[in-house]
Amino acid sequence: MTAAALWRGSGRLWAPALTFLLLGVAWQLVAAHQKSILPPLDEVAGDLWSRPQFYLANLWVTVYAALIGFLFGSALALLLAITVIHFSFLRAAVVPVALLLNVTPIVAISPALIVAFGFNAIPHVIVAAVAAFFPMLINAMSGLQAVDPQALEVFQSMAASRRDIFIRLRLPSSLPYLFSGAKLAITAAMVGAIVSEFMGTSHGIGATIVMATAYLNLKQMWAAIFVSAISTLIMVGLVGLTEKATIRW
Amino acid sequence: MDVAPQRGASAPATTRSDAICLERVHKNFRRGDSTLQALTDISLTVEQGQFVTLFGPSGCGKSTLLRIVAGLEQQSGGQVSLFGQTPAEASRYKNVSWVPQSPALLPWLTVRANVALSQFINRRADRQLPAERVPQDAQEVLAEMGLAEFADARPAQLSGGMRQRAALARGFVLGAPLMLMDEPFSALDELTRDSLGWHLLDVWERHRKTVLFVTHSAGEAVLLSDKVVVMTPRPGRIQAIIDIDLPRPRPPEIAESAAFLKLVMELKKRLRMGREAGA
Repeated sequence: MTAAALWRGSGRLWAPALTFLLLGVAWQLVAAHQKSILPPLDEVAGDLWSRPQFYLANLWVTVYAALIGFLFGSALALLLAITVIHFSFLRAAVVPVALLLNVTPIVAISPALIVAFGFNAIPHVIVAAVAAFFPMLINAMSGLQAVDPQALEVFQSMAASRRDIFIRLRLPSSLPYLFSGAKLAITAAMVGAIVSEFMGTSHGIGATIVMATAYLNLKQMWAAIFVSAISTLIMVGLVGLTEKATIRW
Repeated sequence: MDVAPQRGASAPATTRSDAICLERVHKNFRRGDSTLQALTDISLTVEQGQFVTLFGPSGCGKSTLLRIVAGLEQQSGGQVSLFGQTPAEASRYKNVSWVPQSPALLPWLTVRANVALSQFINRRADRQLPAERVPQDAQEVLAEMGLAEFADARPAQLSGGMRQRAALARGFVLGAPLMLMDEPFSALDELTRDSLGWHLLDVWERHRKTVLFVTHSAGEAVLLSDKVVVMTPRPGRIQAIIDIDLPRPRPPEIAESAAFLKLVMELKKRLRMGREAGA
């Protein structure tokens, strides 16, 4: 391999590394002059390092709510998408409600859910589920309809049943869409869980951020933000790995 | 949009159990206020074991006619009988093998599983297997198509010509007495097309199914067929039916013979006559 090729080949590694390095330097410059805007990164890291169990315990509360919400929200979305593509008259009944749900700000329904379900995990799980629902619904509906029309005709020419068509054609065709939907949905579920923790609880990453604001504890605030971003990234990555293991064509 | 038959009840169909009979088939499409006559008054008999080609320019309705025979579309009037069955009945018994324009292989299945697709869908039809349908072994048909060593590959790993051969193999594995092929080579380059034509000829001469084949290539039509139905557009109708009396099995040299070239010219002449009559 020539030096130039090596240079190009490693570009995937050093290009993002360089971007992060520049961002880090800029951050430190701001932090050095304006401590009320950004805390120095080393202090953020120090706070994380000195009490990891505090962050991990709160992270787990959030991730747990997000995962349960993601599972319920996307399962419901998938079931609904399957129903809607088989009974097209239901589409007109269902899609407007889904759209309305999507444009309703999550923060706005969070207090209502706390009133309804009390100070426990349920409101946060529901917000995460609502957030995960829509991206999964939209992707599942397009995926289940993204069937090669000529392949469909091969099935129809043999009088294939709806079941045959669904299991052997629609479902496998839709897998790439379902995984894109799952990546969006799990991200949305994390955001939903965190935002819902802004009120009505003292546990979770969202609560950690709000409490840090109250005490002007910028180290804790940014440590919590980094922890939530990195954990969301890991979950999206896990979905991506599952996708790679499933879709091998 | 389908349009109700305009002519009154057509004459009783000649339902022969040893032939494909089309009687006064017509098809109209309605677009807004205007009605487009896609097919008018198509009557045609295809004997069992014949290779018949529908040949004509685009818009002559040849694909529409094939889709009606496959039961993928409904005629506006007239009778279609496939060895005594309606297209819907024939497809219920898996008695029709449809080879589409694109290979339409399922990318997540191996080539072998794709070729054996018919064994996995509508299995009820297999429990009461009619005598006229003889399912074939997927591996054997793959070997006939020269794809034996690609059985475990995925479609994405094959060339375009190989994928189309796999699609033909899928059609033969079903073992249906009638095969319908809708311009299966039209997306391929000329050389691949030629070689695929020979492949199809070779495999067909072994299986001897009744075939309705759609093409706009005169050479392909003459090479493969016993009978060529020349169709012309606006409205789609049969211009002429030409018998191809070349010997079978057809040797490779036949494509350069005077008789072959004369037939190709004849087809092109008929097409031109149809165009002039329509203009």
